[in-house]
Amino acid sequence: MKAILGSPLGAGAVLALAWLVLVPLLHVPPLILPSLPAIIRDALSVWPALAAGFLRTLLETVLGFVLGAALGVGCGVAFAYARWLERAILPLFVASQTVPVIAFGAIVVIWFGNTLLEKVMIAFYLTFFPVTVNTIRGLRSSDPERLALLRSFGASGWQRFVKLALPSAAPVIIIGLKLGISLSLAGAIVGEWFGATVGLGVMLLQSLYDEQTARVWVLIIACGLLGALLNGAISLAERRFVWWRPA
Amino acid sequence: MRLWATVLPPCAAILVLLAVWQAATTGFRVPDYILPDPLAIIGTIGSSAGSLGSALGVTVEEAMLGFAIGAGIAILLAILMVLVPPVETALVPVVVALNAVPAVAFVPLALIWFGLGIWSKVGIAALSVNLVVLLNALGGLKAPDAAAIDLLRSYGARPLGVLWRLRLPAAMPAIVTGLRIGLSRSTIAVIVAEMLGAYTGIGQIIYQSTAQVDYLTVWAAVLVAVIASLLLYAVLVVIDRKLVWWS
Repeated sequence: MKAILGSPLGAGAVLALAWLVLVPLLHVPPLILPSLPAIIRDALSVWPALAAGFLRTLLETVLGFVLGAALGVGCGVAFAYARWLERAILPLFVASQTVPVIAFGAIVVIWFGNTLLEKVMIAFYLTFFPVTVNTIRGLRSSDPERLALLRSFGASGWQRFVKLALPSAAPVIIIGLKLGISLSLAGAIVGEWFGATVGLGVMLLQSLYDEQTARVWVLIIACGLLGALLNGAISLAERRFVWWRPA
Repeated sequence: MRLWATVLPPCAAILVLLAVWQAATTGFRVPDYILPDPLAIIGTIGSSAGSLGSALGVTVEEAMLGFAIGAGIAILLAILMVLVPPVETALVPVVVALNAVPAVAFVPLALIWFGLGIWSKVGIAALSVNLVVLLNALGGLKAPDAAAIDLLRSYGARPLGVLWRLRLPAAMPAIVTGLRIGLSRSTIAVIVAEMLGAYTGIGQIIYQSTAQVDYLTVWAAVLVAVIASLLLYAVLVVIDRKLVWWS
């Protein structure tokens, strides 16, 4: 029972049912919470724009995430094996994360132009840090006794890395990737607020200016679906690459 | 002594970064709209200290209120969910669904519901803090193993006794981790909400200065926000040491 409720699909179905029943029953005013049929009607009325926006935001999020994850894993490996590098650069990474980059999206627009790249850069900037930190932590967590065993059998440094350090780091890296993808999505959405024309973030902004509560809910649900989809993709990768761990 | 060892390297790294930044911007004559030099930004902070200060006061107040409300509700809910399992079953779908949606997607809704004053920002901050703390607290409260709980029970401890003597202390490190993540999220959430609609606040200053092409003030506001969130973070680290003194 709990497993069904805890899965995004099950949770969505239960919430939709509660929404369908409770809103007419309690006479909730539409300004607070429109009824589910009204929201579905609104979604259908803007269907092409919604689908295009969904795909656009998905593309920005995934591109930013892939770049950020690649840099994060790369830096994480470098830092885990070269302490001096970590000492020198990691503090800069930490400081970089206190900058609310989504707050000065306007300047990012000046740097990269009002293009796809601007949103990708914001998503990238938010992704790389959690991935870096988790990669370092994961790589440092491998069991020293197993490491000694591999060494006594004459395993080379590369073999120790591929056969032991990386697999034992994988679950922790996955946690970083999950954090990264949700931040990446938030970055892409906010990045669209600074003059983009296509995307879920743009539509969200327009619905606010027009005070269309139903449209706001359509977009909240669309953002939630996108988030669940991306998270699901990472979970799938987790099951494929960290198969020895019960999910 | 150990405090200095942890504080000094990052401070040195930041000073080096500022020096390189200053040298590069003056050396290459980078125009202000691309990247102003640090001294000019600090000068702007000095000359508009009054307006930045009062805006920062509002932003910090909103973030703190939201943080306190969100964290308070989260910890109470987590305790309730552990003591009364049906509550957990009922709330799991809501938590799963809310967790999939990036908090920034709720900003328009908060503005429509609570208006342009402080409460829309407090609401968004509370929401973004709430989920992190709730999930961490829940994980922590469930961490003690069954044998330890049975031991306490066999000595006649009631559920509340088990909660107070075993579960809460065991959950403390996880809760504090959640609070730490939540704190940085709450300031960013408030700034983002202020950019979309507010009477004052750091986010509103960023938005207005961007519209007036006054990028020095944008940078000044961002820098002030960074310093403020670093200070808040330091406060939380101190609280962490007090609450989880045994680690």
